[in-house]
Amino acid sequence: MISKDQVLHIANIAKLRITDEELEPFMEKFDQIIEFVDRIREVDTEDVEPLYQVNEDNELLEYNETNQMISRQEALQNTQEQKYGYFKILKVVE
Amino acid sequence: MDITSLKAWEMKEKIIKKEISCKEVIQAHIKKIEEEDSEINAFISLNKEEALRKSEKIDEKIKKGEGIGLLSGLPIGIKDNIASKDLKTTCGSKMLDKYISPFNATVVEKIINNDGIIIGKTNMDEFALGDSTETSYFGPTKNPINKNVVPGGSSGGSAAAVAANMVALSLGTDTGGSVRQPASFCGIVGIKPSYGMISRYGVIPMADTLDHVGVFGRDVRDATLILDSLKGYDKKDSTSSKMSNSEAFSIVFEEDKGRNYLDGMKVAIPREYIDLVPADKKVQEQFDKAIKVFEKSGAKIEIVSIPHLKYAAEVYYIIMSCEVSSNMARYDGIAFGHRAEEYETLDELYINSRTEAFGKEAKTRILAGTYALTGSKNAELYQKAMKVRRLLKEDYDKVFASHDVVLSLSSKELPFELNSIKKTSIESYKLNMYSAPANLAGLCAMSIPIGEVDGLPVGMEITGDRFKDRTIIKAGIGYERAVL
Amino acid sequence: MTYKTIIGLEIHVELSTKHKIFCNCPNEFGAEANTLVCPTCLGLPGSMPILNKEVLEYAIKAGIAFNGKISNLIKMDRKHYFYSDLPKGYQVSQAEVPFCDGGYLEIELESETKKINLERIHIEEDTGKQIHSEEEETLLDFNRSGVPLIEIVTKPEMNSAEEAKLFLDKLRATLKYIEVSNVKMEEGSLRCDVNINVVDSETGKKSIIAEIKNLNSFRAVVKAIEFEEKRHIDLLEADKNTEKETRRWDEAKGETILMRKKAGASDYRFVVEGAIPPVRISDEWIEEIKTTLPELPQDKKTRFMDSFGLSSYDAGVLTQSKDLSEFFEETLKYIDDSKLVSNWIMGDVLRRLNDDEIEIQESKLSPKALADLLLLVRDDKINNNTGKKVLKEIFDTGNSPEKIVKEKGLIQISDEGELKKIVEEVLNNNEQSIIDFKNGKDRALGFLVGQVMKASRGKANPQLVNKMLLEMMEER
Repeated sequence: MISKDQVLHIANIAKLRITDEELEPFMEKFDQIIEFVDRIREVDTEDVEPLYQVNEDNELLEYNETNQMISRQEALQNTQEQKYGYFKILKVVE
Repeated sequence: MDITSLKAWEMKEKIIKKEISCKEVIQAHIKKIEEEDSEINAFISLNKEEALRKSEKIDEKIKKGEGIGLLSGLPIGIKDNIASKDLKTTCGSKMLDKYISPFNATVVEKIINNDGIIIGKTNMDEFALGDSTETSYFGPTKNPINKNVVPGGSSGGSAAAVAANMVALSLGTDTGGSVRQPASFCGIVGIKPSYGMISRYGVIPMADTLDHVGVFGRDVRDATLILDSLKGYDKKDSTSSKMSNSEAFSIVFEEDKGRNYLDGMKVAIPREYIDLVPADKKVQEQFDKAIKVFEKSGAKIEIVSIPHLKYAAEVYYIIMSCEVSSNMARYDGIAFGHRAEEYETLDELYINSRTEAFGKEAKTRILAGTYALTGSKNAELYQKAMKVRRLLKEDYDKVFASHDVVLSLSSKELPFELNSIKKTSIESYKLNMYSAPANLAGLCAMSIPIGEVDGLPVGMEITGDRFKDRTIIKAGIGYERAVL
Repeated sequence: MTYKTIIGLEIHVELSTKHKIFCNCPNEFGAEANTLVCPTCLGLPGSMPILNKEVLEYAIKAGIAFNGKISNLIKMDRKHYFYSDLPKGYQVSQAEVPFCDGGYLEIELESETKKINLERIHIEEDTGKQIHSEEEETLLDFNRSGVPLIEIVTKPEMNSAEEAKLFLDKLRATLKYIEVSNVKMEEGSLRCDVNINVVDSETGKKSIIAEIKNLNSFRAVVKAIEFEEKRHIDLLEADKNTEKETRRWDEAKGETILMRKKAGASDYRFVVEGAIPPVRISDEWIEEIKTTLPELPQDKKTRFMDSFGLSSYDAGVLTQSKDLSEFFEETLKYIDDSKLVSNWIMGDVLRRLNDDEIEIQESKLSPKALADLLLLVRDDKINNNTGKKVLKEIFDTGNSPEKIVKEKGLIQISDEGELKKIVEEVLNNNEQSIIDFKNGKDRALGFLVGQVMKASRGKANPQLVNKMLLEMMEER
């Protein structure tokens, strides 16, 4: 069983908010998911290398030559706020 | 004659022979959309004027006798997770509901260069996370065959648009079955080619190692036509393969018409489906009937075991959700996408923007993925799943060493009703065992209609080895010829 | 009580490749905001990274130069955290398989050569930059986003600020040698974080490691280490050990300031970068890259000792910078006297460069000019002291030594006839010194030489003056 704190911790890492009403049903669902995925633990994977990509042994390596640069205007066209050609957000406190 | 009910390749022939003009074709489809789409809701945005303008240019080209591209003015729908400069690219999400991409996906460029005409962007489950197109921010799409049921998903809009004759061909994406299952639900052909066959540049990723671009057509030949126009290595996508620069698949249809490709074909049927997740009885009957067709045509059928299929759904869910949680991280409300109106700190800007704009399913998968990547779970679940993924791939390698294709159902269930309370039990996660293995192993796979149950279509999945796409096309065309 | 300081460094170095790491946007410093960007480095939906071969070449050069083991598998991973200068919500980096494993650099301490081992070196992408405006807002520029970085992580094997400084000097020199980075701390092309704690040598008790960030110069590194050493010792002595923490150096205050407690903080949720398939690289390619490397400082040092008979220390200093070592060798083309050239470079030349805070190639001194100057000295055309004055003049004006000597009439007087008058006059005016000398006071001779030099305005050949004085006093 996953705890409330665990769920809230994960939500915080993922930058999502779970409301109090959502929490219970969500925990229930999450328990199901965990029960489901945990079954892979029974597979013997000793000496098995993880498969990162189906097409392995790639020797493809090239110099980046395809120019894809876009204008500053295009770069900024989907942001909410901009100023002097910069993306603008609230003051970030470090 | 209703132009829109023609197969794409028939339309193409008529356009080239000047029996009908490209403009007529486009007009007929726009009319169809105007009549039908308010109910079906297959499209998120449309490009009518531009489509008409282009059709005139194509007619001009044909008139002048200039060379014409493979797609020769055919009307095409594109799933809305494929970036296009001219139309917004929303991914079916509030997050991107105003997003205009400053660049075109490679597949969009290829369609344009092959003289295809993009009619519009099609509806989909939010960020392709779903199997019914009901999680779209822009409302659900209905199945043209029966408007009470879903078209499947996540590429439901693209499948419905082809099934409802609103476009001749369409593009979808397939991460765990999102092309094949809706093809099955809508009674059309859907192909998810081998991993690396079609460039993913500009395709908004859900899970990079599982994502594929796939195609829809009314028959195998249609689907092959658009597949040929899209395939090929792309310098902008490192996961695309030079193996994809092979001869056009359409050559199959030209070399000898009417040939029985099923004769002598070695077919494998995994027993795990029957043992572990048996299909509805009537659906299974349709499958058995289709197998008989293969058998009668001279195919050698063998029941085989793919031991790690047993865990395919689990492996899929883990890897998929991990990669999804990663790919969704860029939606933070800063450089693009929804930004909340109210926030006091940077952290609140993130949390409020993401919480407001992501739907429930997206949130669930982001959280599931975050869980499986955090702390010790990273090794226990994520790394472990990648190991089991290798074992599954090796299982398939063994099968394909002595078989040409693997046959199974595309989905164990019939198209379900809209708004039906979806089971959230483990059983529902298990459904991915049907289509996700092809994504996990990068195999080519096709869904082809094989019959109906209660007026609803049933599809069969033909799976082939990596870069043996020609083989599944031959199997598909062979089946079509056998049942004609 | 005695304490031992334990220091490990994490150094980020921007590689000076033509293009960024995953796209072909130019890798340049100082352009107008958001003008060197593309969908990939902005992290736009659907964009894809392409690992640039050039970046790998540069990185492998560094790996070889630092004596590391280059991996045949290049695998990229995503490191997740949310921050405004990170457009994708993750940084593409390398997790469990870095391209370079281990390695070391040697530093010259007074008494010994010390080997500082490296943990690993990996490649990753740089983030964008934020500017905090005065109007309570933050502005973002993504020109730097996707600039290639290598992160060099040392083992905790340095024991003083001095050692850390020597390590950084060596590291910077080596990177400059192999021409893979501009290594300018002020432009951010070299950034360094310090991990530090102290251990009580008697009880073995350790303070908890602190990570120090925001170090903008080598000087700041040294000062921050010194500050931290003291802080850690105070903590141990007060028995007030804290949690693992991250602190930042405040240049103005001259102290480190707590940023955050580290415990339970970041979990980077590493995921394979699915858009970049792992690449196998061949030993042949690594060998090929090796052949393009210039002679490394360590090899050059050995060669300087062997072929020029220099001491380990001298050879070490002369090979510290590639330009200086080349200047030395170039000078030797005009004057075949390695000892003399080495002495002059190690002495007056380096002193002047230090005073001016410039590099040799930025100065007005050329190898040819130095050689010409030293030829004048060696052939007794000018004396040593005059040589130093001429050198200063060259640094100031860039004029040739011949010109300076000629214009200022500095040619040494080695003609006995010409000097005789001056020597006689000096002896006449310093009777007492002659008596002193004859009474065995050797210092009187030195005084007399000095008087002659002064009277000749420094031009007299001192050896000759010496000889003449002895002869002429004998005659009196």
